Amino acid sequence: MQTSYTPRLSAQELDARTLIPAKGGTLQIELIATARANGMLVYPIEPTFEALFAELSADHPVIVLVNRSYSWYPLWHYAPVLGYDAKAQTILSHFADTPKEALPIATFAALWERSGNWGVVLVPPEKLPTSATAKKFLSAAYDLEKIGMTSEAIIAYKTALTRWQDDIPLLFALANAYYRSHQLDQAEEIYRYILLIDPLYSFALNNLADLLCQTGRSDEALQLLDQVVTDNAEIQALVQATRQEIKMGCRE
Amino acid sequence: MKISKLLLSFVLSVSLFTQVLSAQMASTGVVLGESDTVSSKEKLVQILSREDVAQRFEEMGVDSKIIEARIASMTNEEASKMALQIETLPAGADAGMSIVGAIVFIFIVLLITDILGVTKVFNFTKPITNN
Repeated sequence: MQTSYTPRLSAQELDARTLIPAKGGTLQIELIATARANGMLVYPIEPTFEALFAELSADHPVIVLVNRSYSWYPLWHYAPVLGYDAKAQTILSHFADTPKEALPIATFAALWERSGNWGVVLVPPEKLPTSATAKKFLSAAYDLEKIGMTSEAIIAYKTALTRWQDDIPLLFALANAYYRSHQLDQAEEIYRYILLIDPLYSFALNNLADLLCQTGRSDEALQLLDQVVTDNAEIQALVQATRQEIKMGCRE
Repeated sequence: MKISKLLLSFVLSVSLFTQVLSAQMASTGVVLGESDTVSSKEKLVQILSREDVAQRFEEMGVDSKIIEARIASMTNEEASKMALQIETLPAGADAGMSIVGAIVFIFIVLLITDILGVTKVFNFTKPITNN
């Protein structure tokens, strides 16, 4: 497993890729998209102080969106929050040019609340945000895959499986990512592992059948499809299509 | 010209993304509640929203050389949201942003609210704390 993170983009590139001149700033979507293109997993935290503090206590800086002013004269600003001083009741953030500037918690709360308490944690794919849930992490990792960063997504799925062992959606995502990147042996192994945990998991039955068909094992593929039990029309259609594919001889 | 290039590269990337998999495979989206079947109409809408964003970017002064890369790094969901809401989404800016042009009244109001600790418009203010 990779351990060192290397950024893909230079600071100048990051700058150039996030600014929209006419808006004089950066949209949240592009902050996320650019960080991801840079090889980071972007995890949106729950909009609570609890989630914020959970990340800070693990030394994960959180980028928050704040409105430094009122809604009738908004001054939107991203601030990396670095820590929390419980004794002084202050939030330490790189708010402007002063490193670890202390803001009274009440002030910070008022500014942050105006963005609906929006915040993201950026982690390299071999790290997990402290406050993460399996499903939201999977979604963030899958976003990496969606823009073609499949190897980063694979690392992220594997990382997640160290915390949520035998989580079937995560295993399924990992198997699919292997399949997508033509690592068929690994994909097959994980689909089979899923079926050990849940022999009736229809998505894995279907995808493994598809893989077996692609690798010339049609008989076993059909046996797997026979095991699918579902009243879901979409799954039935999928299984029907796979069956059709096997009948056609799997390759065009 | 630039936009048609973007369109072409997106169509290619989508077809490459799906080509690897046979149509009979359930994608990871199914476990996240995303629909697995994308109709050709939905595909067209996705392509058009990327084109929309490219056009708005160009009008908003984004360097045309990097528009393609910027849009390529968005997921379909992000590109669609962008196409629909680019005008209204908040854009976070520098904390040192100039407020020249703000009328004196606003300046004074915000200065006071800064000091009260309910805003943080100016970098030089230290909020009074009452906690």
